[in-house]
Amino acid sequence: MNQIVSIGTSHHVAPVEFREKLAFSEEQLIESLHHLRESYKVDEAVILSTCNRVEVYGVANSLRTAESPVKILLDFLSNYHRISVDTLKKWSYRHHNLDTIQHLFRVTSSLDSMVVGESQILGQVKDAYDFSRSAGGAGAILNRLFAKAFSVGKRIRSETTIASGAVSISYAAVELAKKIFNTLEDKTVAIIGAGEMSELTAKHLVTNGVSKVIVANRTYERAVKIAEKFKGVPVAYEEDLNFLIDADIVISSTDAPHYLIERKPLTEIMKKRKHRYMFLIDIAVPRDIEPDVSKINHAFLYNIDDLEAVVASNLKERKQEAVRAEQIVSEEAKRFHDQLQILEVNPTIKALHQQFQQIAETELQVCLDCTTLSDTQEVAVASMTQAIVKKLLHHPVENLRHAVNDGNADHGQYVHALQELFALDDNNDKEQE
Amino acid sequence: MHFLFLVTVLVYLAASIFQALYLAIGERTETSTLRPRIAQIAFWGTCLGFVLLTLFIILWWSRQGHFPMKHWTDSTAFFAWAITLIYLIVMRVPQLRAIGGLVIPGAFITILISYSFSRNTSALPENLETYWLVPHITLIFLAYAIFFTAFGFGVLYLIAEKSIREKKHTVFHNLLPSLGASDELGYRCTILGLILLSIGIMIGVVLKQYIEGVNLNWLDAHVFFTVVTWFIYVVHISFRQLWGWRGRKAAYSEIVGFIAVLWTYVGVKLFLDSAHTFR
Repeated sequence: MNQIVSIGTSHHVAPVEFREKLAFSEEQLIESLHHLRESYKVDEAVILSTCNRVEVYGVANSLRTAESPVKILLDFLSNYHRISVDTLKKWSYRHHNLDTIQHLFRVTSSLDSMVVGESQILGQVKDAYDFSRSAGGAGAILNRLFAKAFSVGKRIRSETTIASGAVSISYAAVELAKKIFNTLEDKTVAIIGAGEMSELTAKHLVTNGVSKVIVANRTYERAVKIAEKFKGVPVAYEEDLNFLIDADIVISSTDAPHYLIERKPLTEIMKKRKHRYMFLIDIAVPRDIEPDVSKINHAFLYNIDDLEAVVASNLKERKQEAVRAEQIVSEEAKRFHDQLQILEVNPTIKALHQQFQQIAETELQVCLDCTTLSDTQEVAVASMTQAIVKKLLHHPVENLRHAVNDGNADHGQYVHALQELFALDDNNDKEQE
Repeated sequence: MHFLFLVTVLVYLAASIFQALYLAIGERTETSTLRPRIAQIAFWGTCLGFVLLTLFIILWWSRQGHFPMKHWTDSTAFFAWAITLIYLIVMRVPQLRAIGGLVIPGAFITILISYSFSRNTSALPENLETYWLVPHITLIFLAYAIFFTAFGFGVLYLIAEKSIREKKHTVFHNLLPSLGASDELGYRCTILGLILLSIGIMIGVVLKQYIEGVNLNWLDAHVFFTVVTWFIYVVHISFRQLWGWRGRKAAYSEIVGFIAVLWTYVGVKLFLDSAHTFR
């Protein structure tokens, strides 16, 4: 029977020193996929290799391979990357059938990611799958599996809120700005000082519609240099803060040892800007903006701790949502697993029906040819043979389906036995081809 | 007729519950999958209520034989109708949908008041049988309904501002319109309401002075407080234009303005004597 198996390592179980040893380059991927099929008798394979995880998904027929499919993947990785099987076992996880399905669904739903709810992983898995498919790795079963995994990933993101709420300081600032201003389209952001965080925040604000960037620095040359990155306007920093009159959003991150923006001068500025809202973000330590500024009407001040608190509360929300997401993933995995198994036994059931039907029809014809029966008698005999076929097959088929639904019973053995006993194997294989 | 109104009241009740629920359950709870469904039920419930109410007013109008504005029971029904109409216009902007959680329950309460008064057909006092009465009353009640919406935006503004300032992310924080949006919409509603109120008052004055030929008693309680209300809104708009009164101050004046409206509409009728009272 076909087994879906996987072996992998991720940031959860292994340090980067080990993960990098398992990583695959594109050329290696093509080579490995070929290898898996030819030398290791794996029917289908997809390899996912990102900075946080390396995973190999495979489908193998347990009847055709002597070893367990998990062992095959283990051997493959061990041989390919020249790592001992024991080390590999220590730093990796291995899954089988339902567990594999569930694991992949968790990965595409970003439940297994470092930041739950992140969006990148879905694209990464898609790329890996597309690559493996074009290299001839993925076949009928993995195609179904990955298609389902992508739809589960999307479902989780739309039905739960694991992907909502900013989880980085810079995005939290953008979200807050959206709660203050009606629109960001015609707004101006001013950056005081320099720093990665403030530049990143300004960049996010610009992508969200902010139209103008002012860059202030103690030295005008620095301001010019930073302003180039945003096509911004450089200004020389002045004590009177007049350059803030047009600024709707102010991001300050200087290394000044004292407050740059104090309540009194800013009150004057607010008057000059006719009390339009001002959102001040202080990401400097020690702080650049006097905390009392938040008492000015229409001025909203958030410092680094406030933003971090927003991020922390969002992360907490995501974690709570993740519990719900896990439930959905489990249900979907179980359903997919059952469907797949039904699909596995269906050809056998069909072949069995066909064989019985054929025998019945042949025998009926022979019988009718050598006797003379009235029309009604012919019909009666024909329907009797049909009934016999149906009743003979009823229990075997029902029990086979039960074995599929009941996770403990090994339906694979049943299928194998049926194929052997009724010599269905040949027909069945032809059909699959 | 009575049955139709009862159904309308019940539909409004259901719609208000779902509107309030939509606002209350917030964006990030374990009920988040329910939220779009609740929003849908709230919206279509409101639409259904609106259609039923419109039907009722038309039927009642044709049975009365004159514009149904004589009794409380009529004017409150019309008030609820106008509130719903304005909500249906405003809610086309997704960001502003939260206002339904405030104004639709308001509409429900007014329609419930309307329902609790006994309904009987009776002719208008003769001196009031004029076509000019219709725009006079309609415009003033439309203005009131718009002021009520402005009041709603004022309240939403104060809640949102508080949560941003205190850095507390309340449950429905994420559903509230941005400060800028609440402020802007409250202001626009105020201006529109003021224009309608002004025209409505002018028609009333003209009605009295030139059609009935009677001098208007400016000290009549209802007239007096209508002018006071008008004045409050004029001051609000002038201050905004002159000194940039926006945000919290604007929100407070929207709330004060509507309290004045309530007093003029309800308080005067209950506690003071006025020529505008026909109980």
